[in-house]
Formats: sequence, C-alpha cells, structure tokens
Amino acid sequence: MRTDVVVYASESLLEQIRHDLSLQQAVNVAMLPGVVGPSLAMPDIHQGYGFPIGGVAATDWNHGVVSPGGVGFDINCGVRSVTTTLAREEVRPKLAELVNQVFRDIPCGAGSEGSFRLTSKQLDEVLSQGARWMVEQGFGDARDLEFCEAEGCLSEADPAAVSARAKERGLPQLGTLGSGNHFLEIQYVEEIHDSDAARAMGLHLDQIVVLIHCGSRGLGHQVCTDYLAQMGAAMKKYGITLPDRQLACVPIQSEEGQAYLAAMRASANFAWANRQGILHLLRGSFRKLFGKSVRLDLIYDVCHNIAKRETHTIDGRKCDVLVHRKGATRAFPPGHREVPKAYRQVGQPVLIPGSMGTASWILVGAEGAMKETFGSVCHGAGRVMSRTAARKGADAKQVAKRLEEKGIIIRSETREGIIEEIPEAYKDVDAVIEVVHQAGLARKVARLRPIGVIKG
Amino acid sequence: MFEILEHTADVGIRVRAATLPELFEQAALALQAVVLDASRVRALETYPLSAEGEDDPALLVNFLSDVLFLLDARRTAFAGVKVEHLDQHSVRAHAAGEPRDAARHPPRVIVKGVTYHQFRLDRTPDGWLAEVFLDI
Repeated sequence: MRTDVVVYASESLLEQIRHDLSLQQAVNVAMLPGVVGPSLAMPDIHQGYGFPIGGVAATDWNHGVVSPGGVGFDINCGVRSVTTTLAREEVRPKLAELVNQVFRDIPCGAGSEGSFRLTSKQLDEVLSQGARWMVEQGFGDARDLEFCEAEGCLSEADPAAVSARAKERGLPQLGTLGSGNHFLEIQYVEEIHDSDAARAMGLHLDQIVVLIHCGSRGLGHQVCTDYLAQMGAAMKKYGITLPDRQLACVPIQSEEGQAYLAAMRASANFAWANRQGILHLLRGSFRKLFGKSVRLDLIYDVCHNIAKRETHTIDGRKCDVLVHRKGATRAFPPGHREVPKAYRQVGQPVLIPGSMGTASWILVGAEGAMKETFGSVCHGAGRVMSRTAARKGADAKQVAKRLEEKGIIIRSETREGIIEEIPEAYKDVDAVIEVVHQAGLARKVARLRPIGVIKG
Repeated sequence: MFEILEHTADVGIRVRAATLPELFEQAALALQAVVLDASRVRALETYPLSAEGEDDPALLVNFLSDVLFLLDARRTAFAGVKVEHLDQHSVRAHAAGEPRDAARHPPRVIVKGVTYHQFRLDRTPDGWLAEVFLDI
C-alpha cells in the first residue's frame, strides 16, 4: 500500500461492511500510482469492481493515474432534487393520477427511447455543452444551470473521444430514466434539522419535493467499456501492475489518460443533459395535473460517479489532484467559490437518496469534508443484499402492497425493478447519514419521505 | 451450461464448457439470460460478433462487451451463438436471432458493463470454467 485506508462508519455499519470485499478493494485503491492522501471509504461502502462503491481517492494530476473503475460504468450517475409549490395535502387526492402521469411521460426501463430526438451533430453539441444545450433549446431556464454541480457542463469535454458505439447507444436515450437502482421519487419534507439552510433552499415541512436519480445511460456505459479495454492493454506500456485488473489505469498525463478524461467529461455532460430533459418532462406532468402556475425549482444536482480535477490542501500544501468519487458525492463547505451564491453561507447541498420506500436526506457540505475527504461524502444507503437474495421469497405484488400500506404508490416497468430494490436489501440510510453528520463531513438539513416511486 | 451468481450489487454468470469456443458461446447465452427471457427467440437473421484482447481474460470480457452491444444498442436477441475463429488475441463469431420484442422477449435487467471483478477463466478436468460479474 502506498497510503492508508480511512473508513467512516459506525460499529454496526462496520459489521455489515466486513461481510463483503469492499475494505479489500479500498486497500487495493491505496496502491494506485500517484495516490495522494488516504484511500477513503464512506459509511455506505459496498463491494464494487476495482474501486468499492462509496470510495474516494485522489491522484496527483501530474504524476498519478486515472482509473475508469474509480468513476464507474455509469459516468455521472447522480441526483437532482426540485422543490414544488405544492403541499402534501394538495397532492394526496391526485397522487395515483400524478404517478401514472409521470410514468407515462418519462420513459424508463430497457429499450426505452427518449422524446428528445437528436441529429449526430446535436449529440456532439450535447456532449460539449451538457445541460446548457438543453436550456438553450428551451428545455429549462438559466436557474437550472446555476443550481447544478459544474453548472451542468464540464469544459474540456471532447465528443471525438467518444466512440461511434457509445454515440449510437446514447442517441435515442436522452430524457430516459434507465432502470436498476435508478428512479424518480415524489417525496414530502418530513423533518427539518437546519432551518437556515432549509430556507436558503426554499424547503419547508410537508412540501412536495421530487428526486431524480439516473446517469449517462448507454453512452456512459460504453465509454467506460471502451476505455477499460484500451487501458487494460496499455498498462504494460507504463509498467503498471495492480492486484485487481478492474483497477486498470494509465498516467493522467498520457494520451490514453487525457482521452479518457475528455470522453468522461463528455459523458458527464450527457448525463446532465439527460437529467435536465427529465426535469423538463416532469414539469409538464405536474402542470397537466396542477395547472400552469405550479413551479418546480431545482434545489441542486450532484454527481456521484465522477473524477474531477480539484485543488486540495494536504499536510499544509496545496495539491493539484484528480479526485475519483465512485458512489460518493461532492460536499463543499460554506464559503467555497463553487457553491452557488444563494447557498454560499450554508454550504453546497448534498442529496442522498435512500432506498425505495424508506427516506432520503438533504445535507450541506461542511469544513470537515474539505479537511479530511477531498470534500466528499457518501451517496446513498449502500446495498447489503444481493439481487438474487432479494428475489428469494419476495413477490413484486406483495412488495408493492407493503409500500401502498405505507402510503407509497410505485410504478415499475419490470417486476425485478420492485423486488430487487426492497428496503431490506440496503443499509439503514439514517445510520449512514448519522456517521457523516457526526464526523463533521456534512450537516443534516432535511429528511424526506416518499409517496410515489417511478422506476424501470 | 451456465448459472447466475450472487453478488451484493451486481450479477455474475458461471459458465462451464468442454472447449474454449463453446465456453465463449455459453457465456454469450448466459449474459443474454441476465438481460432478457430468450425462450422464444427465433433464429431469423445472423449478426457478426468479434473482439480482440491481449490475453484470454481480455478476449472473453471484450467479446461479452460486444454481445452486450448487440443486445442493448442494436436491440437484438439471439437463439444461438457460433464461434468461427478463436486464437490467442482475437475471436470471431455470429449470433442467429431476431430484433428484440418486449412482448416475445421480456426484458429482465439492464446490464451496464462486463467487469473483471472476481473474474475466473480456468481449465477443469472436464474442460473450462468461467465466472464473470456484470455491472447492473
């Protein structure tokens, strides 16, 4: 190991963490050439491929490596949350209608095609400009960009670094939700823990909020596949050997490294455009049911599978690093220049989806994250049970009924979509949040409960 | 012959075959079984498959990535796969199938990628065994 592994967890979470390979994976990450600071494990850590999910590691920009496994197949899988001008009581009588409307309007599941038809030239523009392109086409407003991480676009993206295959996969998928653990959730604000931060975000009790969780779809998946294959072959050239082949990496300052980063940024931009498109469709769904005056305002949009060039202070020195966040969320503190002005006093919103039918959290980044974790925290609850185990003895109808008894309506394209995402398959999100709050990485702002779930 | 394996976040396939070309064929079918129900696929058209790799593991992973592209991007389901050529660094095959139809070939899970996580490709007394995990 070139550095330490630091794990953020409670005793009970650690008991669960010990049961899979996630800690070993964090150890393997500590062997990456040019790693700076510790290999970090967030409290929602679970076994991934190469990097654990819930893992953060930084490498020196000039001398270190970039690893696509440290970003994931779903480049810029992330979350955006929006406030609405509706209260829970207003929505309750129309909830089934609303869930059905959203399910009709937002394509999800395998083979779903989006309603945003692009030419190849337009796809290249999306890859360069991200959410900004969507807003310029009329699918949103300037505020949607201001309240998005990186303002919905990473510069130095290069559409030419994205393969024809990846573009073929992405072209029909703009404005689609995907499936698996991707979903859209209609929620209400159940608890407020920080009234200043809540006020800054326009949050209040019983307000209806919507959370969108999805990524770069087939385009990002293909980009990761393409570059993993390329890097696997190139590692020998750079004399890199690692204990886990899935940690395939090359020097950041290499042709392959720069090409991957340019393609990764393009994929990230596609994901932001995707979430912007879904938000546009969502606004349409709400207006159909509640009239033109209803407003959906973006609280924030965060990515949790990404690698970003950032400056961090380590042992008193300013370091230029590439921060890999694999199932981890950026959490910049109050005062940071990348936090939107409206939140500069309170910190960057951190959006943490729980598993289906449990709870989600909104937090704000704190100084502790900047000092200890490259400005990062967890991204969700983290799985404890395999999909196979979740399917045993579970019946989609029963799961849906159990959720309905809790006042939650679910619509899913597939039975698997429901069964595999049962709450028991995940860690306790409240326990995960408590760790990051107590560790001073982020501060609790609001707890939200679902009333409607749409997934593929 | 193949089976599906347990994994916390994802899905794996375990494949056994007497020869390496057969292993590649069975692995393709196993991957498809994760993605959709192939019991009613008809062999109406043929589709080429190919891959290169610096060694056998890379060859199998890259081949399965090509199969995934056929399934996911080209929206094709297949009744069978036949390997035509396999050497140390390349494989060529074809799949016999038809365009995907959600009613005839109900979708199961979207697979994002083929990984090297806990990858196995071993000779056994009866031939070959492979275990490959998929990101879903």
